[in-house]
Amino acid sequence: MISHEIVSELESVVGEKYVSDDPEITYLYHYDFITAEPEGKCDIAIMPNSAEEVQEIIKIANKNRIPVVPWVSGINFGSIATPRRGGIVIDMRRMNRILEVNEDDMYAVLEGGVTWADLKGYLDKHHPNFKAGITWSPPGTGVIPSCLCYGMFDLGMQGGTGAEFVNGIEAVLGSGELVRVGSCSLSNYWYGRQPLPDLTGLFIGWEGTTGVVTKMGIKLWPKLPYRADFLPIAQTVEEGVPLMLKLSKAGLGIIDLCIINLGWAQSLMCLDQNNVANDPVELGLPDFLGLISTQAYTEKQHEAQCEAIRDICNEFNLDPLSVKEQMESFPENLQGLMGHLTPSTGGQTPMQFWGCWNFSRGGGGEWIGSYVSTRNVAKYYNLSREVCIKYNRPPQFYGRLLFGGHYCVARTNINFNKNDPEEIKTARKVLHEIHEAVQELDGVVMYKPPIWAVQYYKDKTIPGTTKLIEDIKKVVDPNNIMNPGQGIGGD
Amino acid sequence: MEEINTVEKEPIEYLEGKGITKLTKVATQQKLDRNKNLDYYKDIFYQCGKCGTCRTAYHEEGWARICPSGEFGKFEAYYLGGKNLLAWAVSSETLKWTEKLANIFYQCSLCLACTQQCQIPEIHNFAGEWLMAMREDAVKLGFGPMPEQARYSEHVLKENNPYMEKHADRLNWLPSHIKQTPDAKLAYFVGCTSSYREQGIAIATAEILNSLQVDFKILEEEKCCSSPVYMTGQTEKAKEIAENNVKAYKDAGIEQIITSCAGCYRTWKDTYPNKFGLDHGIEITHLPEFLLKKLSSGELKINNNKTPMKITYHDPCHIGRHMGIYEQPRDVLRRIPGIELIEMDRNRQNAWCCGSGGGVRSAFNELSSFAANERIQEAKETTAEAIVSCCPFCLNQFKNNIKNNKIQALDLSELVKRVI
Repeated sequence: MISHEIVSELESVVGEKYVSDDPEITYLYHYDFITAEPEGKCDIAIMPNSAEEVQEIIKIANKNRIPVVPWVSGINFGSIATPRRGGIVIDMRRMNRILEVNEDDMYAVLEGGVTWADLKGYLDKHHPNFKAGITWSPPGTGVIPSCLCYGMFDLGMQGGTGAEFVNGIEAVLGSGELVRVGSCSLSNYWYGRQPLPDLTGLFIGWEGTTGVVTKMGIKLWPKLPYRADFLPIAQTVEEGVPLMLKLSKAGLGIIDLCIINLGWAQSLMCLDQNNVANDPVELGLPDFLGLISTQAYTEKQHEAQCEAIRDICNEFNLDPLSVKEQMESFPENLQGLMGHLTPSTGGQTPMQFWGCWNFSRGGGGEWIGSYVSTRNVAKYYNLSREVCIKYNRPPQFYGRLLFGGHYCVARTNINFNKNDPEEIKTARKVLHEIHEAVQELDGVVMYKPPIWAVQYYKDKTIPGTTKLIEDIKKVVDPNNIMNPGQGIGGD
Repeated sequence: MEEINTVEKEPIEYLEGKGITKLTKVATQQKLDRNKNLDYYKDIFYQCGKCGTCRTAYHEEGWARICPSGEFGKFEAYYLGGKNLLAWAVSSETLKWTEKLANIFYQCSLCLACTQQCQIPEIHNFAGEWLMAMREDAVKLGFGPMPEQARYSEHVLKENNPYMEKHADRLNWLPSHIKQTPDAKLAYFVGCTSSYREQGIAIATAEILNSLQVDFKILEEEKCCSSPVYMTGQTEKAKEIAENNVKAYKDAGIEQIITSCAGCYRTWKDTYPNKFGLDHGIEITHLPEFLLKKLSSGELKINNNKTPMKITYHDPCHIGRHMGIYEQPRDVLRRIPGIELIEMDRNRQNAWCCGSGGGVRSAFNELSSFAANERIQEAKETTAEAIVSCCPFCLNQFKNNIKNNKIQALDLSELVKRVI
């Protein structure tokens, strides 16, 4: 039960302006406003300005046994920042300072509320020769949540998921203690996690169930002067994937290898929704679009890399055209999409630029997004595609080969009208069926799983590991106040 | 969902080599009308996914925050995304109207920088309509306008200005040397801010018109255009004022109005015909448009300005994002010898609002000053000696917030008057 006394106590920590239990304010935290997952309940929204203030909030929450949900944008396709048991949502947006950029060791130290827009804006202005990667999620989403939840960027082949970008973390545990992990725990440098016990694992993949991350060091990468983006197209995803797998093992300065199918075009309003079949393949349109990005330090190196990429494309009988050349054959709206995707066509901006977030004017979208063995990526698409077609939904597939091709992500998205309860029900049914279908493949593990999927993975995990997770959770969050009801680490 | 009517595709334009792509026109959009009530737009609100795009400008000079309301209020509710979803909640009866809700919607200068960023076509083009419709509903339900806005609106109805001044003093600024032509078909519509607060603009404009030997007159019957009343959701009251204004100018045989006020320009040119249905047939011209025309024709001659001056130009929301006038004032400035125009990072569609419009300055002084100071700081960072605008309300806002005189604020009319 939230009392006025608790609100007053919180106000004394952050100031009256930055705490609210007004329904008009808390409404915007009770649901993520994209997914088909159920709504939750936010009793109090609060915006701290420092790690110390976060600590004070956590102390008050512990004293009163009130749930706490760390929050930056609240949209994540799994509704994992939706408060399932009410309580306090800690909106981190006031903590949006970029504290340090170390060009020598190539990292940036960020506060918990820094968004992708903040980071890109700052680097472009002050450190134009470095980049942090660009997520395809909206620019208002948080950098730190992306890294903690295994989000991936346009440097995925080079650097892996966001989790691999993490150099160190400062966090307030559920117990209220402030900790630092990585080199920053004993020095002023945030260069990495080695050689100490890697305690970043207490926060990565836990979905806010262990603490509130107040600072993070993340890797930056040099912007090299030569870059090319290729866009081979194949009739089917199955035809295109082998090319991408071969490229993933070829080096060649490849920083990003991405697989998209044409179903996305509908979601992104690249084609007129009234004139696109649920399955664009029926129209004879090619379904596979592969994005290959490569960069180099010298012109000679660049030419050699591009030549090798073209040779490999030719081996698979796929035209190794650049994005720019390939785009010329596209419908105008689709040109817009691809134009935004890569710097070589003037782009490199997040997805919402294409107007995609209204998901074909229904405003709802959710995926079954999973990490998967590279062996199974095409099978994953085909299994999810069958379900989509069965329900007259355009199959929208995206895959990315990561960290030098060691693994990949695969996800299938569906759109729905979030103002229509019947559509939401159907969307849930489709999502459950896709999830069930892809479990046929070994090694499929969903990331940012919504609550209904969490139990499946808990049951599947070997008992010793499950017990270890539970034991850790008890140590770092003894009163179980951190994002209860969510995530593998949750109850 | 209802069947969607689409309009013709429009081209997407690329800025080659700039590292960004600019969508000049959004494709395949739902055909909607402007100036409708909340119910009309209700199927658009939930298309918003609260993605946060509306908070940031993505332009070649760098990415930067653009929403004064959100940056000041901080909570999601103060950004467009939050407002879209609150409008959805109200229209679907999930949330009830409250004073707090009204307060959120009024704590916004309606600068519409947010809409320029969102690439969901219907939100990009029409969000301004439902931000106004929410205010109209607030007024109907007794939650709006804000008390300070109600107070000045009452004064507008009594004394024809929102500055608590007497109507009888409206023309006190008018120097005796200004020559008017009693039977002129062209009127200079001075507006309340230039009449009572920024009289230098009124004098400069009148002197420019005299120097060009333009036959014009200023009507003694000139009254508030109704913008401060309309922008706070009091549509019926504003319409009544507008009807009286149109009658007065038509009765006086006016065929063209020149105004030096961005708000008056927008109201006469757009709100009167398109919102109030007042097809007045009077040609409405904003001073920079007029000046540019006269410069181009050679009728307006500029002296050899011997004093070099670095200036930056602030885009007023009412002529910029609301009416699409970005280049004419800049073109005028570029033609003045000695003037070096330096752009602020956030300019044109992405300009940061001065924080005075939409009733914000009267009702939310802290937010208003926050916005003004951010803009003044940005102007100073360009190393400009002056921030030039063509809106008396923006000018007055800057003058009231500039400290230490490290930069001065000027209106375009004042600058032009110096060099002709």
